[in-house]
Amino acid sequence: MSTRTQAAWRTVLTREIAVKVRDKTFVISTLSTMVIIAAMIAFNAFMADRTTEHDLATSGPLAAEAVEQADAAMGDKTTVTGREVQPVEAEDLVRDEEVDAALIHDGDSWSLVADTEIESDLETAIEQAVSQVTVADNAGDHGTTVEQLNKGSALETTFLSAGEDRGLATYLLRFAFAFLFYMAALIFGMAIANSVLEEKQNRVVEILATAIPIRELLYGKVLGNCLVAFAQIGLYAAVGLLTANILDVTGEFGWALSASGWFIAFFVVGFGAQASIWAVLGSLASRSEDLQSNTTVITTVLVVAMFAGLFAQGPWLVVASYVPILSSIAMPARVLQEQAMIWEPFAALVVCLVSGWLMLRLGEKVYQRAVFQGGRALTWRQALKLED
Amino acid sequence: MTTDSSHRDPETPNRPESTRPETAGEMAPGGSGGGQWRRASTTFGRPVHGHRLEVRDLTRRFGDTTVVDRVSFTVEPGHMTGFIGANGAGKTTTMRMMMGVLRTTSGEVLWDGDAITAQDRVRFGYMPEERGLYPKQGILDQLGYLGQLRGMSRQAALAEAQRLLHHFNLGDRVKDKLETLSLGNQQRVQVAAALLHQPQALVLDEPFSGLDPTAVDSMVDLLREYTARGVPVLFSSHQLDLVDRLCDAMVILHDGRVLASGTAEQLRATQPKRHRLTCSADVGWVRDVPGVSVEDLEGCSAVVTLDDDSVRSDLLRRAVDRGLLEFTDLAPSLSDIYREVTR
Repeated sequence: MSTRTQAAWRTVLTREIAVKVRDKTFVISTLSTMVIIAAMIAFNAFMADRTTEHDLATSGPLAAEAVEQADAAMGDKTTVTGREVQPVEAEDLVRDEEVDAALIHDGDSWSLVADTEIESDLETAIEQAVSQVTVADNAGDHGTTVEQLNKGSALETTFLSAGEDRGLATYLLRFAFAFLFYMAALIFGMAIANSVLEEKQNRVVEILATAIPIRELLYGKVLGNCLVAFAQIGLYAAVGLLTANILDVTGEFGWALSASGWFIAFFVVGFGAQASIWAVLGSLASRSEDLQSNTTVITTVLVVAMFAGLFAQGPWLVVASYVPILSSIAMPARVLQEQAMIWEPFAALVVCLVSGWLMLRLGEKVYQRAVFQGGRALTWRQALKLED
Repeated sequence: MTTDSSHRDPETPNRPESTRPETAGEMAPGGSGGGQWRRASTTFGRPVHGHRLEVRDLTRRFGDTTVVDRVSFTVEPGHMTGFIGANGAGKTTTMRMMMGVLRTTSGEVLWDGDAITAQDRVRFGYMPEERGLYPKQGILDQLGYLGQLRGMSRQAALAEAQRLLHHFNLGDRVKDKLETLSLGNQQRVQVAAALLHQPQALVLDEPFSGLDPTAVDSMVDLLREYTARGVPVLFSSHQLDLVDRLCDAMVILHDGRVLASGTAEQLRATQPKRHRLTCSADVGWVRDVPGVSVEDLEGCSAVVTLDDDSVRSDLLRRAVDRGLLEFTDLAPSLSDIYREVTR
């Protein structure tokens, strides 16, 4: 008999997974998220690869030289080309949108002519190029050179900590971690709560309780949904990596991989820690409307976790990185920013695991009592007071 | 254990035919008169091999209210035992305690004389008061799951589920979701869920409510398969005529207490014997016969009770002189007994 009882939670787990996999909404949302992830990476790669071309009409002795200087200043991904035209033609070309703008130099003055708008990057580059060209020209007139004029003005900036500046990319990745965790916790949490409530509401749980120990039902349910959540996040990661590989942009994202590894570890543990809470919430409710109100606390915690992961800095972030659930976003964020010591993620994982285990034990107590109490929604305290 | 519905255990006692007269209240719903009546009559043959399910001094209090108060009764092997009582009498609470879904305040549930264990209950079939399986899952699929939870292999569970669904004429709907079935059909699936694992005892809370007469008969046939194998069956019902037709024994619960329990015959024996006397002329004279009390009198016919057997010959002698047509024993119907004991 004991071998049979051991297998009971596995039977429950298998059913939970089967139900989820056959759920059309779930399958469609997973597939569309995969497409979105692939599309976002592809879009980023495309944006990074894209070259912008600016076509300018030039007129006057120094205009062509200024355009060349601007081209050099704008870097590899942007080219600025000029073609020499008569001043009268220039405006027509701009108006007909054959060129982006016209740069006209008539000896003493410069003018940049555009139709309705001009890209600010281009404007700045041209402005600087014009200034340089003019200064050089003026310097020549006074028998000196720009180099001589600028002598001793060079400023060298030294960074004490070497490393690339990845401010924006880091932020985006933090955002992705936070959002993925929040969404998964919410969606699967609700799924667990609903699945518990479904059994409670339909009294299936009474039949199940005569067949297996009720705690095995809880284990199977929580674990089954966790596995589906992990499989989903794994799938997303795989799609991300695959797309990055196909587009050959892994080099650019490589630095993110170690942080992502930690994120997945924290996702698994943090998600598991809060999963049993949802099961308990499901058992406390008596109708699905009750879930709206009694899940407020946990959803608030998740929102706080998301914002802490996104915006917290300094000591706040350090604290958040040890608080269970919050740590699932905050600690990977610290790893991402290379702020965490080697041992810190492990310590936070242990804290989260222990609290998750305690949560499960407490949840078990509440669940066993509450799941047979139909009729009205219960609070945690009421449920613990029940004699079952 | 055989799964063939046509097979009957050779040790099944022959059911003695009823000698009771038919009364309107005892007609089976959907029954076809005498034949139906005879087959469904009560029986007290020698005990069948099997298990005995017993509750002793079972009590449940919710706060200050005692919902079930020292309830004791036995469900004998192979006996179809009806559990009767008004709404709120404590039937469901008792059954939930028997199934271990609700903790007992005091008292015990015994299985073959020993305190019941969770392992014993795994082999029980249970149908809770409020119906429910998974509304959004295919019926065969979920029956397979429930069988697996009770330790059957998936194949065996599915095969037995197929057989039961076929028995209930749901053979062509096995893939349908439960919620797409009519309430009566959902009820049949519920019954199948309770019978799936060849249970050694059945505890069924209102198994017949919401079933049409054909479905009731088909379910009774199925339950008879189990009692024939010595499985004790306890079922609750408000439908007294149905209980009367089906039961080998019954337990009458009122306000959380057992008012009466035993085989139908034992219960009837506790009631005063009534007789109907019919003559060719007005029978108003019976009022004057000593030792006879008249319960009902209408023209040529009267319902009487006798103080003792010696009164009978005196009464009959007078009746013969006045054109005696009929003198019959009236067995009290279950409704009569129920009304009597709960009065």
